[in-house]
Amino acid sequence: MRIATAKQSYSSDEALLRTNTQWAWMGILALALLAAPFLLDGYWLYLACLVTINVASATGLNILTGFTGLVSLGQAAFMAVGAYTVAVLQRDVGTPFLFNLLAAGALTAIVGVLVGLPSLRVKGLYLAIATIAASFILHFVFVNWQSLTNGPSGISLEPATFFGAPLTSNFHLYWVFVPITALMVLGAANLFRTRIGRAFIAIRDRDISAEVLGIPLLRYKLLSFAISSFYAGIAGGMWAYFFRVVTPESFPFITSIFFLAAIIVGGMGTILGGIVGAVFMTLVPELLRFLVEWASPFVPNAGTLLSPVRTVVFGALIVGFLVFEPQGMAEIIQRIRRFFHLWPFRK
Amino acid sequence: MMLNWTRRKILASAAAMTLALGVPAIAQDNQEIVIGGSIPLTGVFGFAGVGIEAGMQDYIKILNEEGGIDGRKVRLSYEDTGYKVDTSVAVFNKLTSQDEIHLYYGDSTGFAKTINPELDRRGTMIMAGASFASELNDPAKFPAQFLAGPDYTEMVSILLEFIAKEKPGATIMLVNSDTEFGRDPIAKTKERASALGLEVVGEIITPPTAVDVSTEVLKLRRARPDYAIFHGYILAPLPEFMNQAKQLGLETKFMGTFWSMDSSIWADVGEAANGFMGVMPYRYYYDTEAAPMLDKIREMRPQYQSTAYTQGFLTAMLLTEAAKRTLAAGQELNAKNLKASLNTIKDFDTGGLIGVPISIPGNSIPVGRIYQYDAAAKQMKPASDWISVQE
Repeated sequence: MRIATAKQSYSSDEALLRTNTQWAWMGILALALLAAPFLLDGYWLYLACLVTINVASATGLNILTGFTGLVSLGQAAFMAVGAYTVAVLQRDVGTPFLFNLLAAGALTAIVGVLVGLPSLRVKGLYLAIATIAASFILHFVFVNWQSLTNGPSGISLEPATFFGAPLTSNFHLYWVFVPITALMVLGAANLFRTRIGRAFIAIRDRDISAEVLGIPLLRYKLLSFAISSFYAGIAGGMWAYFFRVVTPESFPFITSIFFLAAIIVGGMGTILGGIVGAVFMTLVPELLRFLVEWASPFVPNAGTLLSPVRTVVFGALIVGFLVFEPQGMAEIIQRIRRFFHLWPFRK
Repeated sequence: MMLNWTRRKILASAAAMTLALGVPAIAQDNQEIVIGGSIPLTGVFGFAGVGIEAGMQDYIKILNEEGGIDGRKVRLSYEDTGYKVDTSVAVFNKLTSQDEIHLYYGDSTGFAKTINPELDRRGTMIMAGASFASELNDPAKFPAQFLAGPDYTEMVSILLEFIAKEKPGATIMLVNSDTEFGRDPIAKTKERASALGLEVVGEIITPPTAVDVSTEVLKLRRARPDYAIFHGYILAPLPEFMNQAKQLGLETKFMGTFWSMDSSIWADVGEAANGFMGVMPYRYYYDTEAAPMLDKIREMRPQYQSTAYTQGFLTAMLLTEAAKRTLAAGQELNAKNLKASLNTIKDFDTGGLIGVPISIPGNSIPVGRIYQYDAAAKQMKPASDWISVQE
């Protein structure tokens, strides 16, 4: 049962973590993240890095789509801009990787603002189509700006270096990606305690009312695009250092749908939703492999026969979550929380 | 108290589950040689992956029945990738943390390029795969990889050699999909064509999933080339092109490369497919020329097996041959030794899967043959002798 959480000041009412339980869980999470690289093998460490990158990108999309209500299907293209920025800087300039990542974020933010320009006139599905168009234009640029992007065969990167040591293994990259993503998530969570974040939510709930309240729509919608693209750019930059090859086909259109699905499944408009959505979408197809593996002693040639079933099960799980928990997985977590608020005195 | 206990229990079981899932299965038999495989059993390339897996398994079965490699059994450990690079890398990491792997099958050009730094860093294995990308045919940049056939540029070169012999000075139109796969051989093809005295009269780039190709066919009509070489497609939009060209009365001959040459994909197209030509580095399942290995395959599998099957079969053969030679020389199984052993393959008999003895001095096997589709027999028939473009 939740007791002794009386708030005595406005700042404690506004705090991100308001109860001791929350602090305890956060501490456990931090410890788990610290211990993970020492406990996980190559495969799980690889997935941990991939999840981290996807969490960063999904959080970015959540700011735009979940919190500001602007549907975007351009997330993959934004990530590609970030990845190419990092690749080109690493290849031609040789600047430190942290600078490259920031530059990737900044440049992608500018591209995001350009792509977001139509958002003042078009909303909903129409905006989604406009962002799709933008991603095709960007794809065309990546293929045809030969001198910069090396055309269809793309750019191979040298590994990032940290004080002269190359970051080649997943173990090294984990220590870079996790703090960056943690900072980004923390930033996003704090954003919605400020005037800017509240303005985003006001725009999502009713843009006309928001304007009446004195929120300049153009500035805030573009700001939302900029922040969201900044996140996508940094995620794309991390992706580039992770896979070390960037081609126009690295970020297919389906990736945008992947991220949109992640925030819908996870829960739009909650920070937790972006995180659990990205974790779910990345890890569940992999976890389903183990079902195939467990079935293999009983089913001859299980790998070939059951692999298509795996994709069907994954699809069914997504549909199941949408039907039974339309608010997303974050809502399940909230419900468990509320259960324990009253427990054991609940009727 | 109860609350704490519950939480702890949840946490403990969560941690236990993570560990249980994460602990790699300990290899029961150290003597076993494992071939790892990122194989696309679902997704756009799933049709090929199923064949590849069957081919590899069959060759491994034959090899094990003959006693394996130096008395050691061979096993294929593979997972589905859905033809996505990040999943392929996940599979690579999963398999390599489960078993000691020295031989690997990769599923795409993207994967081959992505995993290459990791292969170099580990230095423990060699890899071949479903990609014939020209970029990979560079022993300096891709020292731990090879292609079980000619690269895409070499495939088109084989076509050009054939054209130059059949119709000197012929005009050619290049039709490529707007993908890395499609654009791969374009630049080199033009060079090679002019060296052979052929004229490239134009190039058409279409989206990989193009359906309406009428404007492209008009381009073809304007240029009236003797040959149109398609690359970067599996089937669509080739039948549409051929149908419309026939209606317009064009005499152009249509050609393709490996992945559009399986006869089963043409079987449903019907009469329009008749006369389609292309390059194939392997014999077809139903070829009648003497080939002891094909006899064995036909014995094991009475049904038609695709060219992807043969590709998987031959790749398994070459990977294990490299391991065999390395162990015979008393060397350790690592990337350097395995690749060096692979490169000692000279005038090697594939049991008739490739019609001529092969050598692998570099990263590819630059031989192939022109086959032509016979719609009545629903089979590809040889239209030339084996052509080598080895320099």
